[in-house]
Amino acid sequence: MTPRRSTCPKTKKLAELKAGARAVVRHVSGEPELLRRLLELGFVPGTPITLVRRAPMGDPIELRLRGTHFSIRTSEADRIDVDPY
Amino acid sequence: MSIPTDLAAVSPSTSDRARRQPEAHRRTRRKLVAIAGGPNCGKSTLFNRLTGLRQKVANYPGVTVEKKAGFCPLASGRTVEVLDLPGTYSLRPGSPDEVVVRDVLLGVQSDTPLPDLTLLVLDATCLERQLYLCMQLIEIGRPVVVALNMMDTADEEGLHVDAPLLERTFGAPVIPISAKTGSGLRELREAMEQDVAPPRPVTRTLAAPLLQAAQKVAGMLPSTGPLATLNRFHVAMALLLDEGEDDSLMRAVPPAIRREVLALRALLNAEIPEWRSHEPIGHYRSIEDLIRRATLRVKPETSVRERIDRVLTHRVFGPLIFIAFMAVIFQSLFMWAQPLMNAIDFGVSALGRFIGPWLPAGPIRSLVVDGAIAGVGAVVTFVPQIAFLFLFISLMEDSGYLARAAFIMDRLMRGVGLSGRAFIPLLSSFACAIPGIMATRTIDNRRDRLTTILIAPFMSCSARLPVYALLIGAFIPNRTVLGILNLPGLVLFCLYVLGILAAVVVAWALKRTALRGARPLYVMELPPYRVPSWRSVLVTVRDRAGLFVQKAGTVILAVSIVLWFLASYPKNAEVKPLEKELQKVEQSADQAQAQGQRAEAAASRAQAVHLENEIAGVSLRDSFAGRAGRLIEPAIAPLGFDWKIGIALLSSFAAREVMVSTMATVYNLGDADQTSVSLREKLRHAEDPRTGEKAYSPLMAVSLMVFFVLACQCMSTVAVVRRETNSWGWPIFMVVMMNALAWIASFAVFQGGRMLGLG
Repeated sequence: MTPRRSTCPKTKKLAELKAGARAVVRHVSGEPELLRRLLELGFVPGTPITLVRRAPMGDPIELRLRGTHFSIRTSEADRIDVDPY
Repeated sequence: MSIPTDLAAVSPSTSDRARRQPEAHRRTRRKLVAIAGGPNCGKSTLFNRLTGLRQKVANYPGVTVEKKAGFCPLASGRTVEVLDLPGTYSLRPGSPDEVVVRDVLLGVQSDTPLPDLTLLVLDATCLERQLYLCMQLIEIGRPVVVALNMMDTADEEGLHVDAPLLERTFGAPVIPISAKTGSGLRELREAMEQDVAPPRPVTRTLAAPLLQAAQKVAGMLPSTGPLATLNRFHVAMALLLDEGEDDSLMRAVPPAIRREVLALRALLNAEIPEWRSHEPIGHYRSIEDLIRRATLRVKPETSVRERIDRVLTHRVFGPLIFIAFMAVIFQSLFMWAQPLMNAIDFGVSALGRFIGPWLPAGPIRSLVVDGAIAGVGAVVTFVPQIAFLFLFISLMEDSGYLARAAFIMDRLMRGVGLSGRAFIPLLSSFACAIPGIMATRTIDNRRDRLTTILIAPFMSCSARLPVYALLIGAFIPNRTVLGILNLPGLVLFCLYVLGILAAVVVAWALKRTALRGARPLYVMELPPYRVPSWRSVLVTVRDRAGLFVQKAGTVILAVSIVLWFLASYPKNAEVKPLEKELQKVEQSADQAQAQGQRAEAAASRAQAVHLENEIAGVSLRDSFAGRAGRLIEPAIAPLGFDWKIGIALLSSFAAREVMVSTMATVYNLGDADQTSVSLREKLRHAEDPRTGEKAYSPLMAVSLMVFFVLACQCMSTVAVVRRETNSWGWPIFMVVMMNALAWIASFAVFQGGRMLGLG
């Protein structure tokens, strides 16, 4: 059940998605504390995620996952690898 | 690699233990109900509904976390105490707020007994994310009642939630309610009255080594003490997983268990490096399953939110609308609050005039009128601004716009290491730092909040304006520079910019030194838009204003009286003959009036005013404050200030604008204001008695204005920082830091200017 970083060419960083694009969370990395917070908010591998929009200055980004919308900075979204679909 | 585990099997005696709760203990006090829930779930609205106006707000000991408690009457005539816990996504704490939530719910919070019942509020319209907290809470093994809030909205949106299924799954009452309309509250109150059996933990999967570690710790837990009525397995998991800065839970268990937990963590780190991820991943598996079974969307999701967001977070319109909102807030703080503040001012002085004659002339009258009543006035004048700011902030927060504003401003505020949430408190501080500092409670990160509090007083507040106006009017020539700019206006603009620059530099420095720490996760929920409930908004406004008056007000009042004393004592010997003369002049004025000699009466009256001003001047110059002004002269002489300005600096601690009236008193002008020509003239032409030269130069005026931009001279700010940080350390640090900065900057301006041959 431990998610492994994939070498699949499709895998992207979350922040690289275009506005409106959908993907599935593949892997989350980071220091234990930050990693735990992201997982608790539902950024669990296998979760469908949508990049709703970018803020007027390009950063942060608005995400939708598990029926909730979140604002997250691109520097933090870089910790999340996703598979677009 | 992982095996399914029934948690009920792990700790078979949970319910037994909970029922064994000491009955005598229960009977001696009111039942305590803790309200828990995620941010934006309507928890506070429900709390306000249940408790009505019977609330009290305090701080948890040693932290800045607010403790909101109230009493809720039940149908039987009994009353239960209700505690509104801070909103949290998880029981594994990552912030002081969340530490408090965990400690209260596990019964290790020192000033709060273990709650008899937890009322968990869930927003039915976005259940999935909120069930995480629910899973953890259920696992504690203490009685829980689930309030399924916003069921009316869920119905409208075509979202069906199977409450009976949730009830069967959790083994806890699940009651559909709407905190806004009040539906379902009767059933909720009834449930609060009953003895609720502890819930049934939901099955989840955990890796074998983690499961074994947790079981090992669970087996070691003592069967008495604060944690004994909880599910052992949950306590064990909490001990293993809660590795934050705070160790209140670790301190609650014997040292042998502490050592074992540390050893097991090291073992797990070696065996499965990602073991910490197993709890959330396991919980979400169960949640996904539960959501599939318990919810049904019968209408496609509406796009109302999307349509609003498309405008409010639009690349061009988003910032424009935000600026428009800010303009309204700014306007309200500066302009709309002003008539109310004037009315309060008028009311307070009228009160003084009304009460004054009833008291014997002399020290007692002066203490009551100039000390106490003026001090109360100083407190109450802040209330309109606080009320206006919190009216807007709670409207923005409850409607969901505040999160969008932070979303828009985040990139900009990141430049100084803060988040978008810091913008509104800082902007409000241009009107007054008091409401601005109070508004920082919308910033959830502790370090960011402290940084914002400490830099807020650098924003040039409205109390500095009279000082700037007096000094610019007296010393800055009214001429045009660079063809279009008006020099006084340019100077005023530079003063505002200087304050902002100082704030940026100090924020930058603080974030790299005293307030350095792990980079927090700036993930913020963008909640759905909702129509705010007036009730909640008004309760917030009332709470904030009330708290300010109670907590900061007492400090301000005390300091006002001390300042009054310092400015009135000791009485000068020269004053006596002057007072006698004043009496004589007043009598002759009365006589002249009585005899109809109007011209003579007017002349005598004018003389009396002149004498009164002289008495005030002489008394102040020789009072403790006056002596202190002279005492600090050597320290402020390098900045270009003499002892008269020293007195004004000291007295401006009551409020910055008091500087103007103090200068007027020092120059025997009575109560002049910043537009008074005579005060400007006096300042411009004042001579140094030792050299006979002009005492003040434009350079000194610039130095003094720079000092006013940077110095912390406002006791109300200090009092409110004390209240908001729940410590004396931070306000003291702020006073020292700001005043040191002010001294250095003024020194650089004055001495640098002299070297360049200015002044």
